Amino acid sequence: MSTITADTRPVRTSAAARPAERMRRAARRWRYLTNAGAAVLSAVLVVWTLVPIYNIIMVSLEAEGDVFSEHIWPAKASADSFWIVLSQGYWYLENFWHQFGNSVYIASMVTLLVLTIGSLTTFSVMRMRIRNGWLITNAALLTYVIPASFLAIPFYLIMQHYGLHNNPWSVIAALVTFATPYAIFIFQEYGRSIPIELDESARIDGASPVQIYFRIYLPLMAPALVAVGTYALLLAWNEYLYQFLLLSNKRSMTVPVALAQFLNSDVAPWNYMMATAIIYALPPIATYYAFRGRMSAGLTVGGVKG
Amino acid sequence: MTTLSAIELGRPAVRRQSLWRYWRGGLRGSEFTWALAFLVPYIGVFLAFVVYPVCYGLWMGSEPKLYTDVFSDPIYQQTVVNTLVFVAFGVNLKLFLALMLSGFFMRPGWWTKGLLLLFVLPWAVPALPSFISIHWMLNGEWGFLNNALYILFGVEGPSWLNSRWLALGSAVYSHVWKWLPFWTVILLAGRMSIPQDIYDAAKVDGATGLRRFAHVTFPLLANLYLVLTLLATIFLLGDFNSVYFVTGGGPANSTHLLATLGVRDAFDLANPRLGVAVVMSALPLLIPLVIILMRRLKQSEVQL
Amino acid sequence: MAIHTRRTVLRRSLGLAAAGALARPHVANAAATTAEVWWTQGFAQEEDVAFKKLVADYEKASGNKIEDSIIPFAPLRQKEVSAITSGVVPDVMEYGDFSFLPLNAWADKLVDVSDIVEPQKSQYIDTALRATHCYNNITKKRDFYAVPMKAAGIPFHIWNSLVEKAGFKVSDIPNTWDAFLDFFMPVQDKLRAQGTRNVYAYGYQLTANGVDPAITFQGFLMAYGGKNLVTPDGKLHTDDPQVKDAAVKAIAKLTTPFKKGYVPPGVVNWNDADDNNAFHAKLIVMDFDGSLSTEVALYKKKEEYNDIVTRGMPLGNDGKEVPSPMPIFGALIPKGAQNVTVAKEFLKYAIEPNVLNEYLKGGLGRWALPLPEVAKNDPFWFKQDPHRTAYSEETLVHPTEPLYEAYNPAMADVSAEHVFSIAMLDVMNNGMTPEQAIDKAFKRAETIFAKYPIQQA
Repeated sequence: MSTITADTRPVRTSAAARPAERMRRAARRWRYLTNAGAAVLSAVLVVWTLVPIYNIIMVSLEAEGDVFSEHIWPAKASADSFWIVLSQGYWYLENFWHQFGNSVYIASMVTLLVLTIGSLTTFSVMRMRIRNGWLITNAALLTYVIPASFLAIPFYLIMQHYGLHNNPWSVIAALVTFATPYAIFIFQEYGRSIPIELDESARIDGASPVQIYFRIYLPLMAPALVAVGTYALLLAWNEYLYQFLLLSNKRSMTVPVALAQFLNSDVAPWNYMMATAIIYALPPIATYYAFRGRMSAGLTVGGVKG
Repeated sequence: MTTLSAIELGRPAVRRQSLWRYWRGGLRGSEFTWALAFLVPYIGVFLAFVVYPVCYGLWMGSEPKLYTDVFSDPIYQQTVVNTLVFVAFGVNLKLFLALMLSGFFMRPGWWTKGLLLLFVLPWAVPALPSFISIHWMLNGEWGFLNNALYILFGVEGPSWLNSRWLALGSAVYSHVWKWLPFWTVILLAGRMSIPQDIYDAAKVDGATGLRRFAHVTFPLLANLYLVLTLLATIFLLGDFNSVYFVTGGGPANSTHLLATLGVRDAFDLANPRLGVAVVMSALPLLIPLVIILMRRLKQSEVQL
Repeated sequence: MAIHTRRTVLRRSLGLAAAGALARPHVANAAATTAEVWWTQGFAQEEDVAFKKLVADYEKASGNKIEDSIIPFAPLRQKEVSAITSGVVPDVMEYGDFSFLPLNAWADKLVDVSDIVEPQKSQYIDTALRATHCYNNITKKRDFYAVPMKAAGIPFHIWNSLVEKAGFKVSDIPNTWDAFLDFFMPVQDKLRAQGTRNVYAYGYQLTANGVDPAITFQGFLMAYGGKNLVTPDGKLHTDDPQVKDAAVKAIAKLTTPFKKGYVPPGVVNWNDADDNNAFHAKLIVMDFDGSLSTEVALYKKKEEYNDIVTRGMPLGNDGKEVPSPMPIFGALIPKGAQNVTVAKEFLKYAIEPNVLNEYLKGGLGRWALPLPEVAKNDPFWFKQDPHRTAYSEETLVHPTEPLYEAYNPAMADVSAEHVFSIAMLDVMNNGMTPEQAIDKAFKRAETIFAKYPIQQA
């Protein structure tokens, strides 16, 4: 890989030079190996990730909507299904854009609330060290004792009692309930590596808790905020059971529920379903792409020295 | 008044004051109000949306007779074994791979960044279509995987969903495929919290590559890793999409998990209380995990 | 914050009370005339349109208001179970699966609708009536707990082009049970010889997933003379030698082609849609599956639509007619509904013969009309389309039986546990003989039936 150049420097024959030369060569070899290893790993990752996705794309491009075949590409390829989704040209997809809007609304509200409530709670418990704050975080764990799928029935009941029937806020409340404890735990763990001295020195300088929260805590938590925010976004974006149970009519439905319509019968236009899935998966990826710059590595521990 | 008697008189007042201060944890006046105010949103959410449903859920599964029904179901024992296997492999594979990959994704370069975006795709695609697609893909006769194996390599692939262990393996694979990006991103964030100073100091000491990982990175991530393992287990116990859509619990009911069995009882048998009882029978596994998690979270700052 | 003096508080509360008193009659009236209805989403858009028209016509005729929600069939069950368990129920629910009605009738969670069904009893086909005449374990008797509206037949679907490609003709297919089924094996052989690597003769649902397998088993069981496995009084007859013999024959007939390679090995883990997917892709020659969804899906593609041959059950091996299983779907009123009066009125309207007929016709005839005389007088059902003709003949002319769930809810448990599918899989995978497998299955069925004792009237 290296170009061959005439080495015009006088050859050093001192004892100190040879091991240095050996180390340099070893380092180069090691770098070569790691680069090759990384390349192999990348290839494996691509294949691993894409194989099921390829099947989804293949079905979406199959004009007949067939999912079984003897080929590895569509027998009759056609991108019509994507156009049908975008133009709401099929009956199940009649309200696609409106439902998409519902999904956006619910997902953004859930993300915002989870990040806000989660970070505020963790800030109070971990940074401000309110006594017995651990009670709150332990109580939050109670949320996970019974899996969410089985809490659907009582949730259905209380939302009726609260008068939130068929209201997107019932879904938002349910999803915030399930996502916030997780956010709290991650923020707690992540926050441990931010020295408390930062807060204390800011306090001594006269900063109020609100200022510490906004100026010190949130910026330093940026990577965790992005990670948990993506989690909350995707949870709300793709969650299906609660959205289905709590929202009853076509106008208030979201896209995951609309996707479930395709299971209505044994025979369905699977190509439309898969095309919808692909189109629907793009916005979260775009959002993650937009925000991942915030996940910058290498915190500089400034402000406190010595 | 002697000093002593003054102290005697003042003691109850001091005690009251210090109790109050004790509870506030050293926070003065407005700071305490702020701290409390910050907690109010979550307390509100908890009271309004957690207490009743969870208590109701616990009540649903509280009748002892339900459990005789649960244990007398012929597939219950098999289901427990499946759940244990699924959890053991699902959680550990996921998190181990996530840990390794999070290191990989720290590498600089546009190639890695693009790969990360691609890697996040399984997480972003909705569960229903992706698992159904995997079910089709794994079909023994006409699925994409076996077609590819035959056309590209001339190999007749096995019938992936036909035998209990292959099917369970397929379900584990589907679950890991879908959720690996999620845990990787969290661990990636965790890695990014390690200050660069520490790495620099380690380099001076001569620790690079594997040694750096073993002595610097992993100890710092250890607590997070443990917390994630416990959370992943809790989440996985409730995951029924992977098995439901990929194997349907088959063949012959042999790949049911507690979650899918619970759903079957709750909805196919129109007996939600039985369904909750099935899932609650996992409590003996769940409660120790929750306790460990509580202890871990209470721990004070990581000492470097 | 406003200052509450006693006067302002009194004034405010009096005002509220007055407003409430004035408003109440209006509110009460509105409640009396609005009913909430949950309906399954149709398979084709035309079905939903037909339902909306039904609702609109009713609203015009009665002056009442219907708030309808159209819900996809697959998740409908979860929603209905959640509703009934939580007690917050709509006024009318159409049920989308076979276990919901018998299990909830048993538990006394449904309103008796005999007063709606009785006046029209004579028009209904007997099977439909038996399917909704369910046993209530609290009142200890049978009553009508649902209003039958849709009938589903279980026809055979055959690709004409595949049969002809193999050098045979559909008209050559014999009409007695065993011979009929055996016809397809040489078809597969010929097709394979021509190079189609993975084509199979049968798409039998020999799996423990979904609802199709139980129906397949019941169909085969009855074809061999075993229809008395569960009798209308709800009793299980596993000790009847004729039933046992039929069951063994049914299992054998289903599993032997599998062992010989005429059924795709993957069936072992198919879900309800997989046989349709395989059939749609022309990878199996014949499918035995409920309703006309396969055909209706291809309605717009005339060439393929006409390529499918739909036909009912052949004759039994003794040359006599055999009954086919006929699931019945309809609507019910859960207990706790706010407005039972309007609910009953709506259902009464919906099953008026011409209304029901128009509704099902609007849905492209995917469901058969359970009113035989009306169907016979309407060319739509028997004359216009060969698929529909075969379907209507199978459901309305030839003998039919409801699914056993209607006779005894224990059968719902048996189907949910896939007891008979496990029997098939035992023979296919675990080396059991059909007799052993049926013995095991019968034993399990007996245990389950013991949990649902039905007192005879």
